[in-house]
Amino acid sequence: MRRRSSLPVTFLVPTLAILLVLSMVPTLYAIVIALQNRELSSSDYSWVWLSNFIDLFLDRRFLNAVWVSVKWEIVTVVATMVVAIGLGVLMFEVASPRLRNIYCLLFIIPVLLPRVSAAFVWKFAYHPLYGIATYPYRLITGGLIFDPLSKPSTALFAVASVDVWQWGLFFAVIVLKLLETLPPQPIEAARLDHARRWQIHAYVTLPMLKAPLISLMFVKMIESLRSFDLIYVMTRGGPGVATETLDMYAFSQGFIESGKVSYASAMAVLMMIATVITFTMLWKRVQA
Amino acid sequence: MRPYRIRLGRLVGKTILALAGFVAVFPLAWTALNSLKNNVDIITRVPRLVFTPTFDNIAYILGRDSVMTGLYNSVVACGCAVLIGVVLGLPAAYAVARYPNRFAGDIQFFVLSLRFLPPVAVAIPLMVIWLQIGLYDTLPALIVTYSLLTISVIMWLAIPAFQSVPKEIEEAAFVDGYGAYSVFWRIALPVAARSLIGAVAFSFVLVWNEFLIALMLSSSNAKTLPIVASELSQQGMNVPWGILNASVVLLSLPPLLFLGVLSGFLNSVFRPKKT
Repeated sequence: MRRRSSLPVTFLVPTLAILLVLSMVPTLYAIVIALQNRELSSSDYSWVWLSNFIDLFLDRRFLNAVWVSVKWEIVTVVATMVVAIGLGVLMFEVASPRLRNIYCLLFIIPVLLPRVSAAFVWKFAYHPLYGIATYPYRLITGGLIFDPLSKPSTALFAVASVDVWQWGLFFAVIVLKLLETLPPQPIEAARLDHARRWQIHAYVTLPMLKAPLISLMFVKMIESLRSFDLIYVMTRGGPGVATETLDMYAFSQGFIESGKVSYASAMAVLMMIATVITFTMLWKRVQA
Repeated sequence: MRPYRIRLGRLVGKTILALAGFVAVFPLAWTALNSLKNNVDIITRVPRLVFTPTFDNIAYILGRDSVMTGLYNSVVACGCAVLIGVVLGLPAAYAVARYPNRFAGDIQFFVLSLRFLPPVAVAIPLMVIWLQIGLYDTLPALIVTYSLLTISVIMWLAIPAFQSVPKEIEEAAFVDGYGAYSVFWRIALPVAARSLIGAVAFSFVLVWNEFLIALMLSSSNAKTLPIVASELSQQGMNVPWGILNASVVLLSLPPLLFLGVLSGFLNSVFRPKKT
């Protein structure tokens, strides 16, 4: 019944044109800047082609930032999925419908907070002397000091815990909703076969949800790239360079320490290439 | 022994859940509580639950020019960007959902791929560009940059929302002589409204919470609220904690207003299949 109409053209073309311009101009310009030697302090520049990239691979702090970023990505994605599936299954098993609704509301709250707010909330909580999260430790040990944000071995995990607090709880709600959409017959069949509760989930429900769970993980991998706000507020990349991820290092090279905009841009370009290639490949696999 | 073990298991499960619920809200509630405290009540080795509340911190925050400017900038920048996202994103999403062509898959992937772009990679070149055309540190620059976010997110979430509108309703409207545009206005938009509002609210929360781009694209005039809040803490630990806590609360309130809308949105996305 649908006649030929001008609607798809008038609705799509302007929007796509604007999106293309808004995304391609900065992307291409980032590459241009990366091939020059611009600095914030002066307006002169010349073309230096690939020398920024060569410098990067000789820069140990850059290699450290790559490693920290990879660690951050793995820790937050894995922990988020574990918390989400664990709490989601628990809600499905032991909570009444009314309790489920209450938990769902509570679990969405952290993810709605601005990352800056979440970071501050936990920065206060992790304060060694007056923090509410370190209070139990002080209480048990009789006043010993535990400062998770200023120890190189724990700082990354302390910041990651805030990310998992936001996303893990939120994804638990989604896992619960996914479990609720499953048809009840296979679960009942497994129950008749005397399967334990955890066996039902490990062998029946979670495999049935494989596709949406992988999509969720994919979303989390993308969102984990946005670690900057948390790290900027909580540790500024410190102690030392223990929590300095790529975007934090790019920011401090470009704006705080030396104003080397081109150097920072070269880093951003490498990040962009890595993420676009990885996620495009992952996406094609998820879709297939 | 089995029933006993099951009951114990359920008890443990319920305890873990209750603990998780507690962890979800308590830190934020504690921050809100601290915003009502005098400094002496915050800086204590043993957390204090009983204290004489004070509204000084909140009054101080609301009386600061920088905070008010930040609030104004945030509201204007996010409001305009979301409006642009609605005007450009919703029709485009409808066209992708209802007029399938061979590019539909590519368009969807393109819109999603905008989310892969590292914010630094967008912010650095844009900063240089805005500096060159003299728009650095202005609201229009921020609005244009945020529009990229809002348009793509609204499109991404609105495509499935439009697809879930029963085709029969739209077909019936065509039979009744409606044109393609009036079907969009009078049928698709109202029927999908609930999910669409969720998508729009989500895009608002996203740009309201945005930090890195705002940090790089503003130096004094166009600072948004998250930037102002983060700067309060840079004055060292001499800043009364109560004031910091109050600014965190102010920053967190607008997104929390959408809690109801967004949880309704989740419910409508994951509706149990009828069997």
